[in-house]
Amino acid sequence: MIEWLGLHTAYSNQFSDSLLVLLVLMVPLLMGGVAAFWRPQRRWPVSFVILMALLTLGLLALFLLARQILEHGSQAWLIELGPLALHWRANGLTLLLLLLTQIVTLASAAYAPAYLKSEVGRGGAQAWLWPLQGVLTTSLSLIWLAGDLLTLYIGLELMGLAAVGLMLLPGRMEALAAGMRYLLLALVGSLAFLLGVALLLGGWGRLDLAGLAMLAEPGPVLWVSVALLSAGLLLKAAAFPLHAWLAPVHSSAWTPVSALHAALVVKGSFFIAVQLWVVLVPEAKAAAWLVGAMGGAAVLWGGVLAWRSVKLKDVVAWSTVSQLGYLLLGFSLLIGTGPTVAAVAWEGTWLQLAAHSLAKAGMFLATGNLIFSTGESHVKGLAGASRRMPLSLLSFGIASISLIGLPPSGGFTAKWLLLHAALEAGYLPWLAALALGTLLSAAYVFRVFRYSFVEDAEPLDYRRVPWSMEFFAMILALASLLLGLVAEWPLLLLRAPGGEP
Amino acid sequence: MPPFLDALLALAMVALATLALLDRQLVRACAWFVAFAVSVALTWWSVGFIWLALLELLLGALLTGAFLFHALDIRQWASAPRGRLARWRDPVPLTWQRALMRLLPALAVLIMLAIALDNLAGTPGPLLVGGMGLIGLGLWAFALHRHLLRRLLAFNVIGTGIFLILMALVGDRNTAAGHGLVVTGLLVALLGTALGALLIRRLNRLDGRRILDVAEAGRSRA
Repeated sequence: MIEWLGLHTAYSNQFSDSLLVLLVLMVPLLMGGVAAFWRPQRRWPVSFVILMALLTLGLLALFLLARQILEHGSQAWLIELGPLALHWRANGLTLLLLLLTQIVTLASAAYAPAYLKSEVGRGGAQAWLWPLQGVLTTSLSLIWLAGDLLTLYIGLELMGLAAVGLMLLPGRMEALAAGMRYLLLALVGSLAFLLGVALLLGGWGRLDLAGLAMLAEPGPVLWVSVALLSAGLLLKAAAFPLHAWLAPVHSSAWTPVSALHAALVVKGSFFIAVQLWVVLVPEAKAAAWLVGAMGGAAVLWGGVLAWRSVKLKDVVAWSTVSQLGYLLLGFSLLIGTGPTVAAVAWEGTWLQLAAHSLAKAGMFLATGNLIFSTGESHVKGLAGASRRMPLSLLSFGIASISLIGLPPSGGFTAKWLLLHAALEAGYLPWLAALALGTLLSAAYVFRVFRYSFVEDAEPLDYRRVPWSMEFFAMILALASLLLGLVAEWPLLLLRAPGGEP
Repeated sequence: MPPFLDALLALAMVALATLALLDRQLVRACAWFVAFAVSVALTWWSVGFIWLALLELLLGALLTGAFLFHALDIRQWASAPRGRLARWRDPVPLTWQRALMRLLPALAVLIMLAIALDNLAGTPGPLLVGGMGLIGLGLWAFALHRHLLRRLLAFNVIGTGIFLILMALVGDRNTAAGHGLVVTGLLVALLGTALGALLIRRLNRLDGRRILDVAEAGRSRA
């Protein structure tokens, strides 16, 4: 299974070969800087031209990288900094995640100018939004590309600090308090990760994942280090018993930041956890079963709390906890199961990750539009909204098709694959969790709709939502739906040479 | 390096960390923390990691200390008005029962770590022993305290413990990789502390009244 990660590739240490990857990493940073310097609200012609030029450059680099991978199989680079060597690699899965990151961040960044102008006004530290988004994109890309623990550590820390910074931007009391709690928790999570890395380095004297996969032997050292690594990562990924920080963080953050966080940041830690388990303890069936049970509990508990939530943003945040549970179910089907089960679960897990990212980002943006338009943050405040805002409600609905897992969405295909894998592995409780989770997500989505279709509500004063805010919410929601219709494309990427399950 | 000096250094680190984490007066606690960072730098120097010693002095003692004092809003010692003094005291009282209960998770982690380290053969030096002590102490303090500044201090102490263990395990085999990890960790700890300190100060300004009220309530009960 480790070959699906594309780690065993001949490393090239020619600087010219790594130029494309460096471009992919640098362009988001540059774009963030440009947007902070020439703010899009004020001087949009200048920033628009420069940003478009940079964007073209970045996409071109990504396209060339994709062509290289699809033609010649996975690529790997050795970045030498004096005596230190960083291992980077890219295969089909990396490519899929890179694309996903770019799409979601771009949509969230492009949603921001209209949002800041009309909703936030002058408050908060607005100039920091785009640079921090750029840092977040770069650090996530670094995590997807990393082939050694040092790069992973750097990426994880950068991502955590950028995410905390983004949460603090509104500058209000609740945002600062939630951000402080998030900061402490992110720091503790990274300490656990570092301690685990220290034990691995002490035990086998190397940090590259391919080397560790060959050398690491089962024993107390390996188990303790994997336990520490997983504890830190699952805390950051808001896995079930460690999820309590997620909802308060979202309820006070700006909408585009919430979208970015729920769609990508928690996925970064999950990806690292999967990768480390596949590399270090591919046979730990009992432990993986435990993680899967946590996932099942997350699906149910998150669903129930989303259903009971009073605030609109809390519904969406708790639904994130529930949907991350599906990822953990997929995780447990990857470790210690037979190759056929693992192959199906592999595709199901990554498809669920992609579908949830797109759907959840779209849903958060649509929710932001609903709150903006009605001025109400409670679910009950939506009464009568169906008469005035069909487009925002439509985006919300399309995104929820994928979250519930109705055909033909990406969420449906992913859950179908996971169901298939669970059935084949004989993990029967997982089937119950999948079925109940679907019912619960239908329940919390339809609760929102029930309120918005109340006809005899007294008319509120609605604000017109700027077109760009409607547009980007709709684009992301549609993308999650389309992902189901063209599920062959992401699966094709996963099966690219050097990465096929 | 004679063994008793090693033991003395490890002991000094743990003792200074204890003072930093348990002193009820926050300004003094921060001052103890700076002394602790200097003792860590001395330890690095004594085992031959000169660069880490310099970095620890610069990042750990100087900059982190500056941010900690900034969080307490200290400019001049003498002219501080009386109202500020209340904020410099930790308002949450310590009790024995609470302290013992919060010791359990720290002990669990320490035992787990000891089992793993026992399997990685090697004679326990000052780095290993001191590191274990600092991790246990920091975890306990982190679980025990509610005050945000104390939690930042505890985080820094745990982090230092991990760096010490890391370099003890690496020895002179993979010094480059170890240095890479520790330098990244030091930078992250500094950034985290800076962000936390700025946040504490902003929170204090927004919510100063409530914190003062809690302090007053604590004093009238005592």
